[in-house]
Amino acid sequence: MDLIFNAEAAGSGAGHAEEALQLVPASSEQQLMLLAVLFLPLIGFLLTGLVGRRLGERPWIISISAVLISAALATILAFSALTSADPVRYGFTLYTWIPVGDLQVDFGFLFDNLTAVMLIVVTWIGSLVHIYSIGYMEHDESKWRFFAYLNLFMFSMLLLVMADSYLVIFAAWELVGLSSYLLIGFWYKRRAPALASKKAFLVNRVADHGFLVGIMGVFLITGTMNVLQSFELMPWSETEWWIVDIVILLLFVGAAGKSAQFPFHVWLPDAMEGPTPVSALIHAATMVNAGVYFIARTSPIFALAPETMLLVASIGIFTAILAASIALTQKDIKKVLAYSTLSQLGYMFAALGVGAWVAAIFHLMAHGFTKGLLFLGSGSVIHAVHEEQDMDKMGALRKKVPITHWTFLIAALSLSGIPPLAGFFSKDAILGESFIFGWTPVFAIGLVVAGMTGFYMFRLMGKTFYGKSHVDPEVEPKIHESPRSMTVPLILLAIPTAFLGLVIGLPLGDAVIFGWLDPIFAPAEEIMAIHGHEYVIFGIDGALILVSVAVASIGIAVGIWFFGFFGLRARLDDVRALTARNRLTRGLYTATYNKWWFDDLNDRVFYRFGGAVANGVMWFDVKVIDGIVNGVGSVTQRIGDDVRHIQTGRVQNYALGIAVGLIVIATLFILLAR
Amino acid sequence: MAAAQRRSTTSKRQGVRKEGVELPGTVPYLDWRWDDLIFLLLAGVMLGSALLVVLGRDIIRSALWLILSFAALAGIYGLLGSAFLAISQVLTYVGAIAVLILFAVMITQSKRGTAKLVFNRQWWVGALAAIVLVLLMALSIMLTEWDVTSEVQVAEAREVALTIYQDYMFAFLALGVLLLAGVVGGLYLAKRDDDMPETNSPMRARRDGEEGA
Amino acid sequence: MSHSLEAYLILAVLLFGIGTFGFLAKRNAIAMLMSIELMLNSVNLAIIAFGAFTPELAAQASSIALFVIAVAAGEATVGLALVIAIYRNRRTPLVDEYASMKE
Repeated sequence: MDLIFNAEAAGSGAGHAEEALQLVPASSEQQLMLLAVLFLPLIGFLLTGLVGRRLGERPWIISISAVLISAALATILAFSALTSADPVRYGFTLYTWIPVGDLQVDFGFLFDNLTAVMLIVVTWIGSLVHIYSIGYMEHDESKWRFFAYLNLFMFSMLLLVMADSYLVIFAAWELVGLSSYLLIGFWYKRRAPALASKKAFLVNRVADHGFLVGIMGVFLITGTMNVLQSFELMPWSETEWWIVDIVILLLFVGAAGKSAQFPFHVWLPDAMEGPTPVSALIHAATMVNAGVYFIARTSPIFALAPETMLLVASIGIFTAILAASIALTQKDIKKVLAYSTLSQLGYMFAALGVGAWVAAIFHLMAHGFTKGLLFLGSGSVIHAVHEEQDMDKMGALRKKVPITHWTFLIAALSLSGIPPLAGFFSKDAILGESFIFGWTPVFAIGLVVAGMTGFYMFRLMGKTFYGKSHVDPEVEPKIHESPRSMTVPLILLAIPTAFLGLVIGLPLGDAVIFGWLDPIFAPAEEIMAIHGHEYVIFGIDGALILVSVAVASIGIAVGIWFFGFFGLRARLDDVRALTARNRLTRGLYTATYNKWWFDDLNDRVFYRFGGAVANGVMWFDVKVIDGIVNGVGSVTQRIGDDVRHIQTGRVQNYALGIAVGLIVIATLFILLAR
Repeated sequence: MAAAQRRSTTSKRQGVRKEGVELPGTVPYLDWRWDDLIFLLLAGVMLGSALLVVLGRDIIRSALWLILSFAALAGIYGLLGSAFLAISQVLTYVGAIAVLILFAVMITQSKRGTAKLVFNRQWWVGALAAIVLVLLMALSIMLTEWDVTSEVQVAEAREVALTIYQDYMFAFLALGVLLLAGVVGGLYLAKRDDDMPETNSPMRARRDGEEGA
Repeated sequence: MSHSLEAYLILAVLLFGIGTFGFLAKRNAIAMLMSIELMLNSVNLAIIAFGAFTPELAAQASSIALFVIAVAAGEATVGLALVIAIYRNRRTPLVDEYASMKE
């Protein structure tokens, strides 16, 4: 785990001339396409918001066209960038947003391979979710609002990945948070969604404070808000190393909040109150990846702070195992997927922390498609059993919702890391690199989490699709497959889930995606003195593959044993016996079922205790401060009340006043004239 | 009015022959100058009657003591060489103002007779203030070096007249206007309203009687 | 003594003190006005005294004192007229009773 701070390499930028990424100005076609990609969803939002209600049954026409066109243009840009021989990086400034003295913030675009990858993920999954929502929100009366918010979200997320200035990224950060708030609380008339959206926003806000202070710190150290410029200026600044560490730590805090890492993870499970397409889009495939993207984008800066990187890795892997443990015992299908998302995000942060930058982004892509498919599939299941989300009341759905079942199975295998699906390639990349860079604890915990992932995914499969049916007898006859608007996206998502790894994860050791993204992370890797290694398929690397697949298979097998698979029956009584056997297992079961009581802790500390503190402060404000202010008034009033007695109305009193005044003036005159 | 303006410059010690009266140079027994004796007498009368004005119970008595005080003051003016002013003092103060005061006293007589209390509740504060004021001023007078002659100057009436009509002409005319305003104001303020019953006035009673009956 | 300025000034000061006391202590409004007259007289005495002992100022002092007497007359007129007017309303010349403007 030696990370050598290689200042020289850092200072020389991407020293090797042939690998250096220079920023070129964008051509006018590129500018136009970038603007279209970004602003079409915004226009879609505005139009749908204004006239959506009048479009009656089909308010989605505007929003879906906007998103599809945006996706098409983004794909063109992305492919032209990724398939070009030399790595590209271009950008342009739209206008100067804040020209105030020393502070110069431009609203500009930055496009390179990392942006291209993010655009593919965001726009493809976004479009599929939009199409899926046609069917899912069919019976909702305010679906125009839903599509408007979805477009707003697309705009915010695209702005986030294309911006080239910290402040614009922060603005997009907040916009994404706003869209999430609006979408989680879409059914605002119910209590639970309203509370959940508030919780998400508040937790994010707390982390965003750290983010903002971090950005200010970067500005103070480097004097610029431009991302690329700060990369060049940061290593040469003369601030103390521990200040730089703290600033970068604050940036990590912001990213951790958005990506729901411990201790900010509490909002993501509650966010499942929103409609399932929202869960798929925002909380699996795009918004929660914003933190990962941000750290990847600012990798040259993060690489300057080895202590913070250690923290990133630790929190990442800790979140991974914490969330996986909770997912083992949850009953709500969406909650299992939510905790699974937390766990996989933890993987990504761990990868970032150890320096496996490309692996993290690879996992971001693979997980985006996989988890998106899983969420949409779960939405289809919920739709089939008439809005029931408790897995205890599902079962034996395999034959009744076949398309959903098969696509779900593919996604579950992918997430568990079984070759040749996408999840295998990305997860193996993370685990392999962490082992090779020497972070053995991360590797070990990651393996355990992989096993747990297999287990809980197939627990979910077993309870939902196999075994005996525990569905409500009234609902049972009405179970049917979802409409085509919902199943087609499922199928379309299953394709990359299955084949993405094969396309960009091969050949092993020199994968396509590494070719895309290495130039971007080269500066950071220089600083961290990470060098590529020879990929020995029949040596250490092969062994790592075998180990990870074996562990995942064991987890899957255990899950199948207990919960059933196709023809195999479930052994639910054995499960109950196992969890009740001794105090340890009972305790673990209770702990994981109660999410390790973090929500209660937050409630105690912040709500009750913090509320008491706030009440105390309010007392102070009311009694002391208001007291002073009112006191001034009342003192004045009382003085007036007393002084008014001077006006007795009697002439002789006034005459006495004259005489006394005369004496006083005479005395003064005598004293002073002497 | 015992102060005589002597134009003679002969020494007082040698005596002066006036018609039938021969005054010794100094006062017998005390060996004071005559001026000093007259000054003491007049000062005593003036202060004494002023004190009685202030301390008296009956307001008419106070008014009469006031008249005596004015007169004594006129005498002192004479001692100071201003014969013209002494006469003006008598004419104006005694002849006009004091009479006015007496009239006002008579009009505002309370039917209950004299009030029981002469002084109000804050009289001791007033006394204190007066004493402090006196001490203050006396102190400053005694401690000042006056750049003055030691002999009394006589102010000739001709000089006074010339001063008034030449140097202080404007003030004189303004004074006239002021007095006019005072007269008009006084008349207006003191005018009777016909619907208010008045105090004892024979004319009024007869008129009312005629109307009432 | 009669040829010393201080004597006359002290005399004036004493008279002024008496007038002040009367002004502050008496209940009857007309008695207050009489005290004011006493004070005015004391001022006059001081002016004349200064004039007597300062050669250049003799005539001027007399003329000023004359003005003071005239103004005092005017003031006494108006003041007494006021007292009479108030007496008509309140039926009493005692200033203790004139307290309707108290706060």
